[in-house]
Amino acid sequence: MKFHIIEQIALVAFLFSGISFFLYQLLLRLKIVLKGKLDFSIEDLPKRLLRVFDEVILHKKVASGKRKSAGILHAFVMYGFIFFGLITINHFLTAFDLYIFNDTIRKNYFYFFGAPWAILCTTGILGLAYRRFIIKPETLGKFSATSALVTVFITTLMITYLIDEIHHLNPFMNNPGAKINWWLHSGVIGGFLFLIPKSKHMHLVLSPFNIFLRPFEVPSHPPIPIDLEASEEELDELLLDLSKLSKDQALDIFTCVECGRCTDVCPANRGGGILNPKYHFILDLKDPMLESNDVNVVDKINVEAGWECTTCQACTEVCPVGNHVEKADAIRSFQVMVEGDVPQEYQKLLRNLQETGNTEGASSSELLQRMPEYTPDKELVLWLGCFAKHAMDPNFVKSVENFTKILDSAGVTYGVLSNEQCSGDPANKLGDKLTYQMLMDNNVEELNKVKRVTTMCPHCVVNLQKEYSKYHDIKYEVKHHTQVINELLEEGKININPGSLEKVTYHDPCNLSRTLDEVDGPRNAIKAAAPEFFELDESGKDTLCCGAGGALWWKKDTGEGRTHLLRAEQVIESKTDTVVTGCNFCYGMMNQGIGPLTPADQDKIEVKDVADIVAENIS
Amino acid sequence: MILVVLENQRGNIHAFSKEAVVAGQQLSEKLGLDLSILCLGENASSLREQASDYSAKNLILAQHDLINSYSADGYSKALAQVISELSPKYVLMGHSYMVRDFLPRVSAKLDIPFVSDIITVDYNSDSPIFSRQVFNAKLATKVEATSDTVLLSFQSAAFSSDGMQIGGSENQSDFSVNLEASDIKSQSEAEFQESASGVDLTTAELIVSVGRGIESQDNLPLVESLASAMGAEIASSRPVVDMGWLPPYRQIGSSGQAVSPKLYLSVGISGAIQHVVGMKGSKTIMAINKDEDAPIFEIADYAVIGDLMEIVPKLTEEIQK
Amino acid sequence: MKIAVLTKAIPSYESSIRVDSSGSWIDESVVNFVVNESDSYALEEALQIKEKLNDDTEVVVVIMGNENNTSKVLKDGLAKGADRGIFINNENIDTDPLSIAKLFSENLKEESFDLIFSGLQSDDLGSGQTGVLIGELLGMSTATLGIETKMEDGNIKVKRELESGWFQWVTLPFPASISIQSGINEPRYPSLKGIMGAKRKDVKSLNISSSGDNKQKFIELFIPKTEKVTERITGDVDSIVARMLDILKNTLKVI
Repeated sequence: MKFHIIEQIALVAFLFSGISFFLYQLLLRLKIVLKGKLDFSIEDLPKRLLRVFDEVILHKKVASGKRKSAGILHAFVMYGFIFFGLITINHFLTAFDLYIFNDTIRKNYFYFFGAPWAILCTTGILGLAYRRFIIKPETLGKFSATSALVTVFITTLMITYLIDEIHHLNPFMNNPGAKINWWLHSGVIGGFLFLIPKSKHMHLVLSPFNIFLRPFEVPSHPPIPIDLEASEEELDELLLDLSKLSKDQALDIFTCVECGRCTDVCPANRGGGILNPKYHFILDLKDPMLESNDVNVVDKINVEAGWECTTCQACTEVCPVGNHVEKADAIRSFQVMVEGDVPQEYQKLLRNLQETGNTEGASSSELLQRMPEYTPDKELVLWLGCFAKHAMDPNFVKSVENFTKILDSAGVTYGVLSNEQCSGDPANKLGDKLTYQMLMDNNVEELNKVKRVTTMCPHCVVNLQKEYSKYHDIKYEVKHHTQVINELLEEGKININPGSLEKVTYHDPCNLSRTLDEVDGPRNAIKAAAPEFFELDESGKDTLCCGAGGALWWKKDTGEGRTHLLRAEQVIESKTDTVVTGCNFCYGMMNQGIGPLTPADQDKIEVKDVADIVAENIS
Repeated sequence: MILVVLENQRGNIHAFSKEAVVAGQQLSEKLGLDLSILCLGENASSLREQASDYSAKNLILAQHDLINSYSADGYSKALAQVISELSPKYVLMGHSYMVRDFLPRVSAKLDIPFVSDIITVDYNSDSPIFSRQVFNAKLATKVEATSDTVLLSFQSAAFSSDGMQIGGSENQSDFSVNLEASDIKSQSEAEFQESASGVDLTTAELIVSVGRGIESQDNLPLVESLASAMGAEIASSRPVVDMGWLPPYRQIGSSGQAVSPKLYLSVGISGAIQHVVGMKGSKTIMAINKDEDAPIFEIADYAVIGDLMEIVPKLTEEIQK
Repeated sequence: MKIAVLTKAIPSYESSIRVDSSGSWIDESVVNFVVNESDSYALEEALQIKEKLNDDTEVVVVIMGNENNTSKVLKDGLAKGADRGIFINNENIDTDPLSIAKLFSENLKEESFDLIFSGLQSDDLGSGQTGVLIGELLGMSTATLGIETKMEDGNIKVKRELESGWFQWVTLPFPASISIQSGINEPRYPSLKGIMGAKRKDVKSLNISSSGDNKQKFIELFIPKTEKVTERITGDVDSIVARMLDILKNTLKVI
């Protein structure tokens, strides 16, 4: 094929404008991203690279769960693109009578990579198109013109490629036909340069970087330290910061591929709430960012949706392009600290915390009083948490006693802190960082006098350990009681006999599995006691929130929404005899939900804490 | 003199006023003071007629064009004139919303004490001692009032109108009230009702509350007819609302409303803590449940152990008789 | 317009209430003082009026009591948006509504408020008289149990809650003292800016001593019967229903 000089000029002009447009759009977005607060971290480089390998190259998240087949189709398309990278350069060079592949290489490449991947890629894109336009999963959203265009583009690209290569090996067309085919191929590639930056297809470029830069902590809410003695200017700056996204959050929004997996797994959405994380936490913010050319868009998050979030992090866990989806922390902090607009039931809760240091506004705790007090000669501080301390589910007191029984039988000495205050989790999750700080400062002062702490409340663990260390130098170590039990088991300090042959399952608490990364510990203990253990449909890091997270335990029940019942329903449908959990809030929610939901012809499922099933079967 | 002031409630003597008359009759007897009943303002002549057989020394009518409809300005001024003229030792009314609205004005006008919301009267000292609830009814207090005239209002049901002594009054008289148009500063519009969409259970005197023990939505009418026979509001525990059998604004408990009615009749509610916190302040709790160990019985005054499906229809039938 | 909001610091509902050694008051050392519930609705109503009028309207939080119990509540009112505060420092425990009202009116007289808002009643003493008494003492028009307010033609219109689901609109000329029912609005939460700004707001402290001229006083505080004696009603349906009827009719007198 010979190209006229005019054709060559046209090609250069076309590619130049395409590349310029592409780079301009990309830089525009990067500039906005860099206006975000907090810097990107590249600590733990090997871990980050490994994560890119897992999630990009191996597609571990894209092709997981219910979307495995869609993920494999996606892999065909992605690998197709990668394998065509060099071919594409070669393609354009041919217009100038240049090449990087000689004919032999080009032929072999075509036989072994080009042709098979062109077919796989076409299969992939047509498969995905079938899913999107024929099956129409709800979460993908309404008809997407760019998706249709991309289908046509990729299919055209592959067909024109095949024609071009076959013609090259074995000419079967006259020159104009081949030329038209060549130009069609070039046109589509150029078209991509215009299409990608302004659509969700930007993920092609951004997702590897986004996955690389993603914070490891889940959730990764930035600390908001408040200095009450600060000057007015400093305060204004702090308030302004509350309206801003972080760099990482901003990059997330431009990377979003709009697949809707976050919405699929969202307990609030599944429970009939309005919260749709794909839109409310991500896409709703995209246009405002581009329009204002800035990141101060927190106030564009739907407030009502923000209050519905259980902060369970399922959305973040499932995201295939590395987004930290949840923005409840951002919008709630904004509502509480900037707007002063807080639902009444939460105001009551926050007042209780400020005035009494506990969620219930109680002036004393019966359980705290009868537990042995911690003294420095004891090994462990047993941190009770408000839920146990104030018998928010009266049955849970027994679970605390069962845990102390286990400690006793292992010969571990422990005691409670008489001035233990709420870890601040509800205040933190509701965005009242001032109240949070007050509780935290008080607790850190007490806790820094001790070495080892254990608690049955994963919310407390997360705060005492992870969240506090964002603000303070903490000198103690916190373990969840299931971790302590598992250690005692491994050290042989306790022995568990296999218990009865009833069916037992485990509900993973979000804070324990997703945030604290503790999935196996509680299972080891339960399995030792329960020969007939089985897994629920959504388990481990893919667990479904019980509905109490994000301080929603205290949410006033309006009778609307079933977020608080979803998991209990699943447990009932699993036909288990016992459901074990490792979180006092989950325990309470299970009890509340299972009671009324159990059909008349089914025996009521027993709700147990890990400590219960262990204590019952300890030898 | 003991002076009881009757309150008009849309043409009738307010139920609280009847109880105040009973209180007045008791005070009159214990202290040896004459009892006068005052029909004041709006609808006063009709009230006098309705009160004509109440046993009292005097039945007084105080009317004026400017108090033909209630206003705090007019009523307080008129009553202050009556009190200044008659110098009663005690002036009694029911602790109604109207009394809260104007009686403190009389107290300030005449510089006399107003002991409000009284639950009991104790005669063991030189002068009567009045008890009232304080600190959200966690405590009660004995109040001593020292003044030539003392204003009193009684909590509903502190006295029962069943104890009313009948016999009519010895004297009937008219009191002439002096008012000028400029005395009435505020202007009231007609009273009206709103559709009962979002029922405020917190003000309900009687509540019949239904729980999971009702088993099916089809059985709900059993409880609804009991509630209507008793003139009670219907309420529920969370499971009933969760199942969509009753709207959310009927829910009592930590996630619903907190109520403190005179009687809380719970039907088929086991008494989970989340429910109990919303109703433990009820003055009287009567609970029907099959399970004699139901936690609700721990806080109940009356524990009815039996099958609600049998008891409720039967009780409804008896009440309707 | 100048609006005063009378707020009171009272023991929280969750606090344990014990009678002190004098027998006529509670042990305050174990009590957590919070704002009286209906007062926080009164404050919100005043702040909303100020926002609606959007002129130089001033909202003043007024509180009486000792500093320990009241300072948090006063600060909170300022943090929510009141322009300034008046603290009537009274170390004595007054239980006579009329004496209390006189202390308020004497100390507020010269402020010449156009509006005084107060909560319907305090959840400690529960007399529910203060707002009306002050209104009378200062020659203001009064209304109670307000559940909605509107400014209209130089007057304030108040929707009053009557009993058993009835309501009434009342138009009051200024100055007016109005007591506010709980639930009338959605009280705000102090924003960070509000909390920080509150420190710079003006609080006038007035030291007073009560007149001691109490026309009514608490002679004894006591715990009403706490132990519930549960009567268990069992047997066949007829006898159960008969006993229930007897209780409803004769003991409780509700039917």
